[in-house]
Amino acid sequence: MDDWVAELQRDRFDAAWDLFLDRYRRLIFAAIRHYAQDYDDVMDVFARACEALRADDLRRLRSWVEQPEHRARFSTWLVTVVRHLTVDWFRHRDGRRRLSVVAEGLPPLRRRIFELVFLDRRSHIEAYELIHAGEAPTLTFREFLSELRATYHAVSTGRRGQVLRDLAPASEAVEDLPADPAGPSATGVAEQSRLLERALAMLTPDDRLIVELYVLEELPAETVAKVLGLANAKAVYNRSYRALSLVREQLERAGVRREDL
Amino acid sequence: MSSRDPEDRLMMPDEPFEELKRVLDTRVRSEAPTPDCLQDDVIAAFAEGSLAPDLRATVLPHIATCVRCRGAVASVARALADPAVARELVVSPTDRRWYRIAVPLAAAAVLLLLLASPGADRSPGHRGPPPPPSSTTPVPRSPLGLVAAVRDLRWSPVAGADRYRVTVFDATGGVVYAAEAPDTVIALPDSVTLVPGTAYLWKVDARTGFDRWATSELTEFRVAEPRRR
Repeated sequence: MDDWVAELQRDRFDAAWDLFLDRYRRLIFAAIRHYAQDYDDVMDVFARACEALRADDLRRLRSWVEQPEHRARFSTWLVTVVRHLTVDWFRHRDGRRRLSVVAEGLPPLRRRIFELVFLDRRSHIEAYELIHAGEAPTLTFREFLSELRATYHAVSTGRRGQVLRDLAPASEAVEDLPADPAGPSATGVAEQSRLLERALAMLTPDDRLIVELYVLEELPAETVAKVLGLANAKAVYNRSYRALSLVREQLERAGVRREDL
Repeated sequence: MSSRDPEDRLMMPDEPFEELKRVLDTRVRSEAPTPDCLQDDVIAAFAEGSLAPDLRATVLPHIATCVRCRGAVASVARALADPAVARELVVSPTDRRWYRIAVPLAAAAVLLLLLASPGADRSPGHRGPPPPPSSTTPVPRSPLGLVAAVRDLRWSPVAGADRYRVTVFDATGGVVYAAEAPDTVIALPDSVTLVPGTAYLWKVDARTGFDRWATSELTEFRVAEPRRR
């Protein structure tokens, strides 16, 4: 048994904390640095993480230790907790000023998309509506999607961007969108999204998750295989391609051709 | 028309899925938490791939459709794959303390040996039997390759391990059987049906400490098909 756990079980919280921190300080820092690179940010998040982990006589650590059976390694659980604390810290902080630094190097349209989507937390459709109604009345939805994707790519590249990826906006469900959000092209895409959701719903949960993690989240195939308990990356390649073929068949049956997408 | 590359990967060069991905990427989503959303330990277990198969089957329908939980799993999996994080997961500070002491000690011992035997034969060559294989990771012993039947799975012990986790995969990568055992053998239950002639892969994880697991290589086996008379 680890010394910090032994101290925790003796209710010697200060001693347990010192030993815990001695052991896991570097891991906590590494996890925070994965999401944020700015030195001040890292130190502030570290302080917040320590405060949260130490609160109520190490309540979070005690709850993990007292579990009769552990589903994950402690260190992975700790990375998970630190990830949540980091994302929450960025969300709750007065982040607009610092996050805007990321947007400074972007072309004007992408900077505007960044502000609307990441800072104002607008949905993609809303962002398009605002830009289309304002500074870019000739922007088609297809062009907007291309710029949106480039913006995501730009802010997610590099270690600084990892937390931005996690700060992507919460938006309303497709069904809640207005019937005619922004002209025929946006409506068309909303309809395609609805059809696509239906097609995805026909996949088995594990095939759907493979598609979501490998194709959309862009996790490496090896990581997806590990997460889903598959033997190797090849299984991920094959199953994702087969699943996407099924999705395409469903879309074609619904009258959506490739050139319509 | 699909084809296969030299690594037997299914390829569809004439079927790019970029357009599907583009639409998938732009779906509007809801991140509001629900009562079904996963606890941190389940997210962690999912991200590190250690979730028990029965629990994984239970939570899969939720995580396949919940952007919030799927994003958390993907985010943690990305963090675990970050070399800086992975390094800290592998090397605990306890190990680091040991290195701080052991490395100078080992260097001093080598220096002493060199000084004590200046005329010793230092020519390379085999001197006796090879050293025993490392006992820091489990090694699958049976089944290996083509076997007549599989009644149990056996592997080498790992020093200090108090628990082993065995996983058998089918050719598609799906989990056929997973179980934990305190010993280095586990009987394959009758409920697990292995198809003769079909390739299977299996691996063993050994728990070597409070927060440490050592994983074997993936090992292939197949059950021989019955002879035709």
